[in-house]
Amino acid sequence: MPEATRSPKREGRLWPAHLVLSLGAVLTVFPLLWQVLTSFKSFGESTRVPPTIWPHHWEWSNYATVFDSIPFTEQFLNTLLMALLRTAAQLLLCSLAAYAFARIRFPGRQTIFLGFLAVLMVPGELFLLPQYQIMQNLGWLNSMQALVVPGMFSAFGTFLLRQFFLGLPTEVEEAARLDGANPFTVYWRIALPLARPGLLALGILTFLWSWNDLMWPLIVNTDPEQMPLSAGLASLQGAHLTDYPVLMAGSLLATLPVIVVFMVMQRQFIQGIAFSGMKG
Amino acid sequence: MRRRSLLTAAAASAFAAGCSSSPGSSDSRHGRLTYGIWDVAQLPAMRRAAREFERTRPGVRVDVQLTPNGTYWTKLRTACTSGTAPDVFWMNGPNFGLYADAGQLLPLETEGGEAVLRPADYPADLVSLYRWNGVQYGAPKDFDTVGLWFNKELFDRAKVDYPDAGWTWQDLITNAQRLTDRRRGVHGIGVPVWAQENYYDSIAQAGGWVISEDRKRSGYRDPRTLEGLRLWVDMIHRYRAAPTLQQITDTDATQLFQSGRIAMVQDASYNAATYYADPELRAKVDVAPLARGRRRATVIHGLGNVVYARTPRPALARDFVRFLSGRRASQIQGKYGTAIPAFHGTQRAWVEGMPEFDLQVFLDAVDYAVPYPTSGNTAAWAHKEQQLLARAWSGDESLDGATTALAKAMDQLLDQEGRAGS
Amino acid sequence: MSLDTEVPAPPPVRAPVPEAEDRELRKRERAFAHRDKWWGYAFIAPAGLGLAVFYLWPVVQTLYYSFTEWGAFGGTTWIGTANYDTLLHDAEFWQALGNTLLYTGLVLLGIPLAMVLAVLLNLKGMRGTGVYRTLYFLPVVTMPAAVAVVWRWLYSGDVGILNQALDAVGIDGTYWVSDPDTVRFAVAAVGVWMTVGYNMILLLAGLQGIPQDYYEAAALDGAGRVRQFFSVTMPLLSPTLFFTTVLSVIQSLQVFDLIYLILGANTSVGVTNPAYGEGQTVVMLFFQKSFFDNQRGYGAAIVSVLFVLIMALTALQFRLQKKWVHYA
Repeated sequence: MPEATRSPKREGRLWPAHLVLSLGAVLTVFPLLWQVLTSFKSFGESTRVPPTIWPHHWEWSNYATVFDSIPFTEQFLNTLLMALLRTAAQLLLCSLAAYAFARIRFPGRQTIFLGFLAVLMVPGELFLLPQYQIMQNLGWLNSMQALVVPGMFSAFGTFLLRQFFLGLPTEVEEAARLDGANPFTVYWRIALPLARPGLLALGILTFLWSWNDLMWPLIVNTDPEQMPLSAGLASLQGAHLTDYPVLMAGSLLATLPVIVVFMVMQRQFIQGIAFSGMKG
Repeated sequence: MRRRSLLTAAAASAFAAGCSSSPGSSDSRHGRLTYGIWDVAQLPAMRRAAREFERTRPGVRVDVQLTPNGTYWTKLRTACTSGTAPDVFWMNGPNFGLYADAGQLLPLETEGGEAVLRPADYPADLVSLYRWNGVQYGAPKDFDTVGLWFNKELFDRAKVDYPDAGWTWQDLITNAQRLTDRRRGVHGIGVPVWAQENYYDSIAQAGGWVISEDRKRSGYRDPRTLEGLRLWVDMIHRYRAAPTLQQITDTDATQLFQSGRIAMVQDASYNAATYYADPELRAKVDVAPLARGRRRATVIHGLGNVVYARTPRPALARDFVRFLSGRRASQIQGKYGTAIPAFHGTQRAWVEGMPEFDLQVFLDAVDYAVPYPTSGNTAAWAHKEQQLLARAWSGDESLDGATTALAKAMDQLLDQEGRAGS
Repeated sequence: MSLDTEVPAPPPVRAPVPEAEDRELRKRERAFAHRDKWWGYAFIAPAGLGLAVFYLWPVVQTLYYSFTEWGAFGGTTWIGTANYDTLLHDAEFWQALGNTLLYTGLVLLGIPLAMVLAVLLNLKGMRGTGVYRTLYFLPVVTMPAAVAVVWRWLYSGDVGILNQALDAVGIDGTYWVSDPDTVRFAVAAVGVWMTVGYNMILLLAGLQGIPQDYYEAAALDGAGRVRQFFSVTMPLLSPTLFFTTVLSVIQSLQVFDLIYLILGANTSVGVTNPAYGEGQTVVMLFFQKSFFDNQRGYGAAIVSVLFVLIMALTALQFRLQKKWVHYA
């Protein structure tokens, strides 16, 4: 990163940039702000036409209702465990495959890689029913395995990390090979440590996506104790009417942790992305 | 059936294929049962009923499984294919034919010592809703009829007398116009493209019909059927006493009613509890019988409890259904106020639970109710029905044009259904 | 690929070798390659098998199903290309395809927007970048179910905030998501809103990978800010831009839940939204046919066509990249 030179003159010339950026930020955040405000309205007020912007009466009880309506703690832990396991598995499996695609020559490499890429181009809804049947055949319905296993494999992750490995210099690895190290040792000892920024980027992305995954958990786990938060919150939507403020409160509570993760990790995240996705 | 439930209701099952109807091997009356439901509002009542059943049956455990409305049918379909559906689950009219025809459901005895239900205990239309080719597959759980909800405040302001049993369509039209106050952004009545709450009722009131009794022909060519639909289209475009389809798409009719933007809305009994829950609204609104056309009519629909064909404990599951649709569990349901129990003589608690509303209207409606129209694959044509009627509602197409297309599409689907079934 | 300066460049370990020795080396490399073969398979086996079972096999199945009809309650019947024949004459499908392509095109317009934001954030001496990045990224991590409800409120014709704001400046609004003329643009705007932060981060990462001395060299040659942008930034950023575009196209063509929810299809409105036909995307139609209308074979045909289209468009982009993407 270029070292910032902070002369007062420079600072002064940045105000148009700040203006554009803050304007955009306000537009971006506005709908979310609305969500926050709604989460504090009573149900009656949330259905007023025309809508009120500021809650007449701050209804903190919506947040308590979330905890009463779903086993929040269990579901929070389920979500955390699901996201962590999926992330860990993807980092290992994707990096192994990605390394092979980037470094090792073997017959059929191109074809297999294209097969991986093809998966990337299929809408996720297509997989719901076939994967459900696999889970059913394995007797895994309503279990942590059901939440985690299909999400352990990722074409996107393999693709991203392959790009990353392609960008790394090869000299050290080659030397190690000449010294008699086997490919796994080279991958584990040399390539993987160098790939940390890329792994981090993929890790964060996988974590974020797993956290919000909705359809799959909803279909595969019906037991509230086995659901992640996303699915638990969806069950708050009633058959005839939805208590919007509670829904908003619940979804805010659920997304808070990932926002924190992003805030803390964003610099490393950007660095990781900066390394990958640059080579064709 | 409101569209939201209809959409999910429409999740009719291609996947149900392959579920065999052979009963499980072990037929013990002990062990664990699962009970699948979709409405979070009814969860407490259902849990309570399950606990009571457990108390009478030592060694039995019932798990109530809530699958949110949006995925209930998708999930049930896949579960049926794999043989993992709940032992007992909720069923509705539009989906029933599909599951019954596919052998997904276990027959329920209606007479003798082992009878799961006695038809005389329930409104006849509800019992017949869950009969397929002469066999009973579901026991009525609850029912809903439709009433005319109105906002007293808006009526007072416009100096219009509250609606009563004497209202005719003409009264409905005239008063909706008088209640319309463009300056304040108020319309007399909201008329979304809702089947159960709006056009199935008015079609029956006009003497029309949606589907023939042998379930082979569409009724959308009958002039009387069109008369029933024209009431609503005219209410929007000719009498200008209702919001346009666009307005009602942007803001749900129920919400417009709750916030005093429409003075009247036809809504089913199941929303009574929702209106009642809002203290402001509770004081402001009430309900009256639907206006009379050529005759008085409302559609009646209700959920049923059914037993999964591949349950490992068919005898226990039947016992549970007998309990769920019996007097005791019906009283529990009534007390919780979320649905009108179907069992004769157990409805008082529901009516008395919300004394500010004239809920007797919904019970009286049973006397002049007509059955909810269904066939073997209701979802397929109900989807077309809403799509095409919406074009007439919006004014993009004439009512004649829309219904001609609808009748053709529906006949074709019913024809396919007949061939698939044979 | 430009290297970030913070990662230590590995020291050169191989001294230049004479040609004969070089040939010897290559021979050894080939020998490696021979033995490596099995390592290669072993490395991709875990991920490859998982993907094959959970992802590729369903795709193959779906392709097969697209040539069958699912009887209401029977297995599948082979009907040849009948589903595809129907598809050719299905106006609803073509409209959905058109909607999807237009949506994709409109969402791509978000990339220049993301580029502007990234360039601004990358300005020398810019402060508060962490805050901006987080704010712009927020929509990416929020839950669509809640966000769609909010957008429906904002877009509401009679009482929505958008129309109130437009009204204040004397513009007549419309029923944004229930008006057939505006619905596609309204949902695309939300699409941009949800993706701009993600694209911005990708592009920002690309910008930060450009070594500062390139700019200094350009400045020495007398290039101004604008010239620098076009002669240094654009070429060096083109790989990232390419990557971002490819991903955006794939994701936009698969768009489903966001539009489904904004149209109100999950509420009592359902398919009666007057703009439903104009808003419906290909995956929505697939979902409708396979899950609700009991036509899984036809649904399979719909999604197969989409799959082939996405592959073709991606392949086309990879072909065209030679014309504009520069790899350092």
